[in-house]
Amino acid sequence: MFFVQNKIMLPLKRAFKLDDRLLLILAGCAAGICSGLAAVCLKLSLEWALEWFHHLRSHLWAVLLPGAGALLSSLFLNKMLREAPGHGIPEVIYAVSRYGGLLRFRSSFSRLVSSFLTIGSGGSAGPEAPVVMSGSSIGSNIAKLFGLNERQRITLVGCGTAGAIAGIFNAPITGLVFAAEVILGEWKIVHIIPMAVAAVAGAEISQMIIPDPVLFNHSPFQVGINDTFACISLAIFTALVSAVFTKVMGQSGKLAGKIPLPAWFKAALGGCAVGLIALVFPVVLGEGYGWIQSMISDTFSMGIALTFAALLAKILATAFTLGWGGSGGIFAPCLLLGSLTGALFFQVATTLFPNLALASAGAYALLGMTGLISGVMQAPLTGIFLILEVTSGYETILPLIVVSSLSSTLSHYIEPASIYFKDLIHKGQFLRPGTDARILTDLNLNELLDTSVKTVTQNMLFREFINLLNHSSQEMFPVLDDTSGRFLGIIRISDIRRYALDPAMYDMIFLNQIMDTRIPTAPMTYDLKDVIDIMDANGLDTIPVVDHSKFAGMISKARILDLYRRELMMQTSHH
Amino acid sequence: MDYKVLHIFRNTPFGRETLLQSLYFCNTIQASPVVYIPKSDKFLFYFSNDVIQVDLDSSYLTDPDTAEARTRNLLSDHGIREIFLTPKNYTASSLPDLPTHFDFFCCPRSVSDLSSRIGLGHIGPKVRRIIKHATFPVLLTSTVFKPWKSIAVLFGGSDNAVNALKMGLKLSLASGFPLDVYTLMEGRDQDVYKAKAQNQPFWEMAEPRIRNWHFWEKNQFDQMLYDIPHDAMLVMGAYGHGPLKDILFGSKLEKIQSTLGNIMMVTGPQSTIRLR
Repeated sequence: MFFVQNKIMLPLKRAFKLDDRLLLILAGCAAGICSGLAAVCLKLSLEWALEWFHHLRSHLWAVLLPGAGALLSSLFLNKMLREAPGHGIPEVIYAVSRYGGLLRFRSSFSRLVSSFLTIGSGGSAGPEAPVVMSGSSIGSNIAKLFGLNERQRITLVGCGTAGAIAGIFNAPITGLVFAAEVILGEWKIVHIIPMAVAAVAGAEISQMIIPDPVLFNHSPFQVGINDTFACISLAIFTALVSAVFTKVMGQSGKLAGKIPLPAWFKAALGGCAVGLIALVFPVVLGEGYGWIQSMISDTFSMGIALTFAALLAKILATAFTLGWGGSGGIFAPCLLLGSLTGALFFQVATTLFPNLALASAGAYALLGMTGLISGVMQAPLTGIFLILEVTSGYETILPLIVVSSLSSTLSHYIEPASIYFKDLIHKGQFLRPGTDARILTDLNLNELLDTSVKTVTQNMLFREFINLLNHSSQEMFPVLDDTSGRFLGIIRISDIRRYALDPAMYDMIFLNQIMDTRIPTAPMTYDLKDVIDIMDANGLDTIPVVDHSKFAGMISKARILDLYRRELMMQTSHH
Repeated sequence: MDYKVLHIFRNTPFGRETLLQSLYFCNTIQASPVVYIPKSDKFLFYFSNDVIQVDLDSSYLTDPDTAEARTRNLLSDHGIREIFLTPKNYTASSLPDLPTHFDFFCCPRSVSDLSSRIGLGHIGPKVRRIIKHATFPVLLTSTVFKPWKSIAVLFGGSDNAVNALKMGLKLSLASGFPLDVYTLMEGRDQDVYKAKAQNQPFWEMAEPRIRNWHFWEKNQFDQMLYDIPHDAMLVMGAYGHGPLKDILFGSKLEKIQSTLGNIMMVTGPQSTIRLR
């Protein structure tokens, strides 16, 4: 790493007079290309696996296939690579907000292999979250290799994400929007330009290897004003399905967590459950893009009851796959659930109101996808641009905006946290740039400590203390043990006034007789938020910080405010 | 002194030896041990420019019900108040993040291999990465606990060796033990090495602490190793002079750590050593 930085990067920077922005764009391009390649690898391998397993699906024992895949996936992830289960996106967001985007190298390939095993064998999940994890890790590791700073590393994590989404969906704008909206949580020029370059690089690589113009083809839809109004009802419908899906996913994970079985066994059980569901509803298997295509092309033939049952089956299958230890993302399940929801809505609406001139079941499948993506991820822009790019359905832009914005708003009302942020919020680790929690986390307790404070000892005579006061402007004096140096209490000038006004007392009392031993202290291990909570609870502006019984320094609200403002300005500046 | 030493407890006889060495080190330099009893077989260290996942071998999770009581007993035997580390942040549910603000980190030569292999004199890949990226020096324990009575610094004249000399001085000041310096002259005169050390701002403090400075010819490496007291704490830099000095550990370190059974303090390139 040091070799690359000193022997390659520095001479390159000097030779080509690269400034930091240009360097970031070049590094972003590299991250986009690598992420795009990772996406293409997973896409091709999944196509191969689905084709290879297709002829086996007619056998009854094929119900075991998703179980076997999930088992292998769990063993690979937990035992071989010792990675935590899950789709990984909260991990990326956590790394970005807390550790400047530091991600492990093993994450650049671990989820690709594990999700290939899960989805390829028929598990109900999508390949997008794994490629996002992989792309983010590639970006982070490129930044490490080039010795880039924290802010540049965060940009490269965004570049990797943008390249990965652009590569897997052939959707560069969605890649850029998803990276900014979900992963980084901020829109800054300094991020946007390298991420845009990375997204284009990822999409181009994908196009070169798999020259598909769009993911889902369809004939142009005739969308009218009726559809725009109908979209309001559809948005309510998609928001409800989003909330149910998010809830079921969470409960499924919790239920699996309570079962005292090995992780690989639970993953296998979940996979077998998917296999059983697939006996009745084959729509639940894999990413389900073929079914989405049939719905958008108006060749989907299920009736209302069957579509509704398929919708529930897909929710359950995804919960069994991901909640029980399989590997994969929720983008593809959301797309399928959304298209089923849209198709179901269309069927119900045209049955109840046969004279209502609505566009087509395909158009509503497409709108339903936007609604589900926006509702589950609470990322309306990602929902809009994804559907526009994967379908080229630009004629539906107005209803798309209506469904997307309403669905995300209503979902937020029902379920305040999106599926990606839920765990982070629960752990108090959802730290978006410019928010109070993030600023307090980024401020270092050491930086805030006033270590120049004069201390006194417990056996100091009051007269000596008065002499000390003559040469000091301090308001509080920490009292330490004479021998061990242990923190014992504090002397406040305001508390000792009555002794100070009586010179007869000067030689009669020692400091341990008048010190305040009940003053609350903060250990060094506390976060700044905890320290402020202690101050607020006790109505104090300054408290001592004690490290393993030793006095470390004083911390004051005035100092916190100074540094808080500085940090806030840095995090919210436009560049 | 209020140095803090991070120790990952392994609930096995080998882990006890490691903890005993850690406790002796703490008592000698008046440091406080911070003991982490792992609940899962992995944890993360986030350094400024890298994140390291430390995959612990299965022996770290042996008999978890007795781990805390055994640690408490050993700590109280040494008159040390127990301080246990409880991770506050988790990257994933089974993946805690351990803080990295410690002054020292104590571990055996390998944390990811079973202890039966550690005696073979091999520094494991995780420990290597920690040494490379950590801001704290790493205390590599030997297979069995043996009190050390002096400090031996291996000084080859590189910047890392200067760091090691400073570390040796820091330990000597904190423990009161004498400091010996060992130099293997590789085609250079004694004066070159002395001048390098004398140009350091801490030289005035170091000079009175140095008991002996031993110079050995290039072909006397094995004799030099035998000359190092068996009960000395060995202090050395992780990287040497070679063209790949930033990538691979110094060849001397590899040879020394596999030859000598002494407890070792290794300073990596990111180690910041303050004399206080």
